Amino acid sequence: MNVAAVVAWSLIAVGSGFFLAGTVGLLRFPGVFSRLHALTKADNVGLGLLVLGLAILAGSPWTALKLAVIWALALLAGTVSCHLIARYALREQGGRERAEP
Amino acid sequence: MMDWWLDSLLVLGLLWLAWQAVSAPRVFRSVVMFIVFGLFMSLCWARLAAPDLALAEAAIGAGLTGALLLSAYRALLARHEQRLPEPRVSRPLAGLIAVLCALAFGVLAWVLLTVPGVETPAGREALARMDDLAVDNPVTGVLLVFRAYDTLMELGVLLLALLGARVVAEPLRASGPGPWQRPGLREPVLVAPLLALLVPLIVLMAGYLLWAGTSAPGGAFQAGAVLAALGVLLRLTGRVRPTMNSSFHERALLVLGLAVFTVAGALGFGFEGYMLSYPAGWSYPIILVVESALMLSIALTLALLFSGSGGLRGGE
Repeated sequence: MNVAAVVAWSLIAVGSGFFLAGTVGLLRFPGVFSRLHALTKADNVGLGLLVLGLAILAGSPWTALKLAVIWALALLAGTVSCHLIARYALREQGGRERAEP
Repeated sequence: MMDWWLDSLLVLGLLWLAWQAVSAPRVFRSVVMFIVFGLFMSLCWARLAAPDLALAEAAIGAGLTGALLLSAYRALLARHEQRLPEPRVSRPLAGLIAVLCALAFGVLAWVLLTVPGVETPAGREALARMDDLAVDNPVTGVLLVFRAYDTLMELGVLLLALLGARVVAEPLRASGPGPWQRPGLREPVLVAPLLALLVPLIVLMAGYLLWAGTSAPGGAFQAGAVLAALGVLLRLTGRVRPTMNSSFHERALLVLGLAVFTVAGALGFGFEGYMLSYPAGWSYPIILVVESALMLSIALTLALLFSGSGGLRGGE
């Protein structure tokens, strides 16, 4: 097992840890906002670390680029859906003025 | 060993999700479980080395059907004022139906397991004859050459499904996703940039899936589903609005796939003597044209099914 593989698997392990933490946060945290916080932050970093590890394992720049695009798309979708859910929740709780825009 | 663990997890997860989808106490939970079930199903197809099916299941089974179910749930909520009525089937009757279904499934499974194997299964036959075709992807070969008649009929079924949905359709305000925004509130700032990034990407993706379908996983159904997802996105963000009646162009696009496929099949009747056999040397361009037409028709049909309207118009 060479250095690259060790680094890659460590990154994947740390990334999985972030996913686990995010899932536990989603299940255990009170309220919409803290749950969203736990979920999106952990997912973004966790997926990023996973992608980084997998890119090292793949060993081809082309595959690494595709993985990076997947991560970027997940970031984009995660950001916007988190924003929309938080905005909706804020408005439901009566924070109408602050929810603009 | 690792694979074995992964597969058992997938199978157990699939069964559990299926059970949750039908037995959840609330409809919303059932819908969410069904969407996750679709994603698991797609993973299972990927594990079974069937990427075409995995793509179609993820795009249509989980994505579009999930969106359809969610919008149907919203329409139900609006009608029943936040509380859905209890299902009217009594528990003993439901149990009886379940037992009968399990019996029927058991008998069918037993028959399938005991039936003697065929000498040359159709799949192996098709793989052996792939060299005669102009396309390299066996799935596309089966769909558009060996089993072209079935695919033609499937297109007819899809069109009939849309017509059926239109026949029982309700006024626009009761069907499909509701209005995008409450009056007096501005659009969230992130929506426009997301659309600006996603729209070209989705079009590119659909084009790639269509083009790659001749030699790699992909094809008209997957590309059409991805394009339909674009329609869903635009409809949900209010970029296109529903209309009661469809325009001439929309009707033409809806039947385009069926029409082009039929004409291509009739060409074979003229040149080769029987339906759906493409003229020698022309099969690659014909398959490409047919696939493109199929993609457009599938995309519009699925988008209109989601929208719950006869047509779509641009603008606010």
